[in-house]
Amino acid sequence: MKRFLPVEELARDERFIRSNIADGFSDPRNGRIQQRTISTARLQPDRASAPDRARSLMHGIFVGEIQALEAAGRTTFDFDDTDAPFALKLDMARQCWDESRHVEISVKLGEHMGTEIGEYTEATFLYEAACVTDPAMRLAGVNRALEGLAIDVFNTMKDFGEASGDPILKFCEDWMLADEVTHVKMGSDWLRRLTERDPERRERALEFQRAVDKLFSLGGFRGETDESPIQIARRFRELAGFDTKEIDEIAGLAADALDDARALLGQTG
Amino acid sequence: MVDGRKPRPAFAPWDRRALPGLFDVEESARRVGAYAWLEMRLFEALGGWIATVPELDVKLVLGRHCFHHAWHAEQLQQRLPELREMNPARLTLPANDGIVAFAEALIEPEAAEQTIEKLVGVFRVLLPRTIAAYTYHLNGTSTITDAPTIRTLNFLLQDEFEDWREGEMLLQSLITTPEQIERASNRAKSLESLIVAAGGIAGDGTLGQGTDESGTKSEAVSQ
Repeated sequence: MKRFLPVEELARDERFIRSNIADGFSDPRNGRIQQRTISTARLQPDRASAPDRARSLMHGIFVGEIQALEAAGRTTFDFDDTDAPFALKLDMARQCWDESRHVEISVKLGEHMGTEIGEYTEATFLYEAACVTDPAMRLAGVNRALEGLAIDVFNTMKDFGEASGDPILKFCEDWMLADEVTHVKMGSDWLRRLTERDPERRERALEFQRAVDKLFSLGGFRGETDESPIQIARRFRELAGFDTKEIDEIAGLAADALDDARALLGQTG
Repeated sequence: MVDGRKPRPAFAPWDRRALPGLFDVEESARRVGAYAWLEMRLFEALGGWIATVPELDVKLVLGRHCFHHAWHAEQLQQRLPELREMNPARLTLPANDGIVAFAEALIEPEAAEQTIEKLVGVFRVLLPRTIAAYTYHLNGTSTITDAPTIRTLNFLLQDEFEDWREGEMLLQSLITTPEQIERASNRAKSLESLIVAAGGIAGDGTLGQGTDESGTKSEAVSQ
C-alpha cells in the first residue's frame, strides 16, 4: 500500500455520488433561492423547509464523518515515526474509533430523520484537506479547522434537536460534540509539539488552517449572523482551546466569505 | 470471631501460582518488544486501509480495530521499562527479517477490490498467530515474577478474540463464490508460508518449538 492516497482513490460503494462543493456554492440557482428567503437562514423548526434541510445536513455530516475516519486512518499510516511519533499515531487511532462511532450514529440518525445513504451527494473537501504531506499542516487543517467546523455543525444540530422537540437528535449530537472538542484539543496539542522549534512551519500550518476555515465558510454557510445556517459555537470552541482572538478571526473569515458570495451573486444573478 | 493473629500460609490452598517460568527478564522483554512492533505495523495498516475499502461495514470495523491494536502497542511498550529497557523504542523490534517480510506482505494490498486479501491476512493468519503466541507466553511465564505481563496479555487477548471473531464473520459474509474461496486460500497460503519461515510472531520458539541448524524442531527453552 502506498503512502498518501489521493482523493480520487477513496473507495465507496455504488450508493455514493461525488460532487464538487464549489459548484454548489457558485450555482446561480442557489443564490436566487437565497434571495427569495424572507427571514433567517438558521435551521428553525417552524420553517417549512427545515426537515429537508436538516436531513440534507445530516447526510453531509455522515459523509464528513466517513472522510474524517479515513483522514485519521491515513495519518496513522502515511508518516514514519520521525515525522509522526507513536503517541501522535495513537491519538489518530483513537480518533479513528471515534469517527467510526460517528458514522454509525449518523447512519442511525439519518434513518431516524427519514433519509438514506446516497440520497444526497458527497463532496470530498474534508479528505482533500487531509492530503497534505506535512503532518503539522494536516493536523491544523483537519483537527483544528474541520473538527472545529464540526463543533459548529453539531452544536447547530443539537440546538435544532432541542428546538424541534427531538431528544434523540439532541442526545446524539451532544455526544459527538464532546468527541469533537477532544479532537480539536489533540490537533492544537500536536501542532504545538511538532512545531516547537520551527515557528515558520507553525505559521505555514496556521495559514493552511485559515485557508481551510475560509473555504468552509463558503457562501456564508457558517457565521454569526442570521444569514448563516451554521452558527459559530463560541463556548464549545473555547472548551476546545481556541482563544477569543482565534474565534474572532474565524468569524471575520466567515463574514468575508459571505461578502464574496454576495458579490458573486451580483455578477451572476 | 476470627483470630487475625493466628498464622496463615502466604498462599491459600487454591492459589497454585508458582515461581518457575520459561522466560528470564531478557526473553520476556524481547518477546514483548516483538509483539509491540507487530501491533504497530498492524494498526498502521488497518488505519491506512480504511480509505481503500468500499464496504461501509468493513470500513467502520477497521476504524475500531485500528485503535485496539494501537492501544495494545502502548500497553506492551509500557511494560518494557519494567523489564529493564528504559527506552521502549530500542526493544520495539521485529523478531527477525522474516517477520519484516511477513509484515510487508501483509500490508501490500491496496486496491478497492482486495478487501478479502486485506482481511484474510489479518483475521485468518496474523490474529490466530497472535492469540497463540500471547497464550503461550502467559501459560509459560512465571505466574508470580512476570504477573504484570500476564495481566497485560490477558487484556490484549480479550480484544484479539473478539476482533478475530468479528473479522472472521466479515470474511464469511464476503466469500461467496469459488473464485473468492480460491483468492482467500491463496492469500492465506502465501502469508502462512512467510510466518512459518519466520518461526512465528516472536521468531523461532514462538510456541516453544525452534528450528535448529539442521532444520529439525527442538525444544527452544526448558525449565
